[in-house]
Amino acid sequence: MLKEVHMPKLSPKSDEYFFGSWLKEPGDTVKTGDILFEVETDKVISEVQSQEDGVLKEQKVAEGDSTKVGDLVATIEVN
Amino acid sequence: MADTKTKPQWLKVTYDQTKVDRMNHLLDGLQLNTVCAEANCPNLGDCFGSGTASFMIMGPNCTRACRFCDVPHGKTAPIDLLEPLRVAQATQKLGLKHVVVTSVDRDDLPDLGATQFVNVIKEIRRLNPNTSIEVLTPDFQGRTELLDQVIAAKPDVFNHNMETVRSLTPKVRSRATYDTSLKVLQYVKAHAPKTTFVKTGIMLGLGETDPEVYQLMDDLRAIDVDFLTIGQYVQPSKKHYQLREWVPMARYQAYYQVAMAKGFKFVASSPLVRSSYKAKEELEAVDGK
Repeated sequence: MLKEVHMPKLSPKSDEYFFGSWLKEPGDTVKTGDILFEVETDKVISEVQSQEDGVLKEQKVAEGDSTKVGDLVATIEVN
Repeated sequence: MADTKTKPQWLKVTYDQTKVDRMNHLLDGLQLNTVCAEANCPNLGDCFGSGTASFMIMGPNCTRACRFCDVPHGKTAPIDLLEPLRVAQATQKLGLKHVVVTSVDRDDLPDLGATQFVNVIKEIRRLNPNTSIEVLTPDFQGRTELLDQVIAAKPDVFNHNMETVRSLTPKVRSRATYDTSLKVLQYVKAHAPKTTFVKTGIMLGLGETDPEVYQLMDDLRAIDVDFLTIGQYVQPSKKHYQLREWVPMARYQAYYQVAMAKGFKFVASSPLVRSSYKAKEELEAVDGK
């Protein structure tokens, strides 16, 4: 089953973030708690953890993109 | 000026959406403000993820407009007489062993908010007799009769932040002076029960120099302040006080060494340290709780 990963709300006061970098590539196995990607908010660099066990299928956002809360970021193939 | 646009790698935090959502859900039903959210704290994910939060009473709007602070300045709300009970219930619901209560400045009130602090402390203690209580208060304009009220409620930790060194205080803070804040800490230390620890905190990266920081430490030790927290200022927006420097980790370590040598009971000095961050662990370290 394919699960969608959406941009979480990382800052109480802003909804638009700078997408930093991917720590998992398509085809990589991911476990719950693994860092998927880094995002720069107004105050910090947030490492966002996977909420699923599976295989990263597709990255929907590129490094350097501006992303909004709720945007589709990736898909994970879950067993 | 050093590069302040690029965030240093140590300004990195981990975010677990499930845990943060669970905490937000718990807090949503309580009609309380947290300084975590109102000040857009960089540690929110960490603290919410581990089930802790710091309550901000009498808010969300503040009567002062300090240039470093993200808490909104604006029209204040009437005092909510049920807020003390809700803070106490939230403490119970979250199972907090140590609770931090701070507030906005309420220069509009005759008692500047002192009575609400007292009522919150009393209610927390009534419902949570084994929870230690830390207050992080405004300066109450240095009025000792108001400090007496809060002292009499016997918080375990009385925190009032100096925020920065003497020379930068007028540029960074609003309607607050270095000497008034020192006087507050001095008065509390001299008049509070010996069981109350006195604490303060400062931010780095505002343009302060080493000698100024050491002078501040000496000023605090001269009045026997117990705890000192030192953390990195992160500019909330372009409108706020301009960040001058991402202070290197080595300087935090140096300040820690010097501050401990000067006699503080506990010093937390690291970029992501905030007044209430890991406050429970801090109290446990000195109190054997």
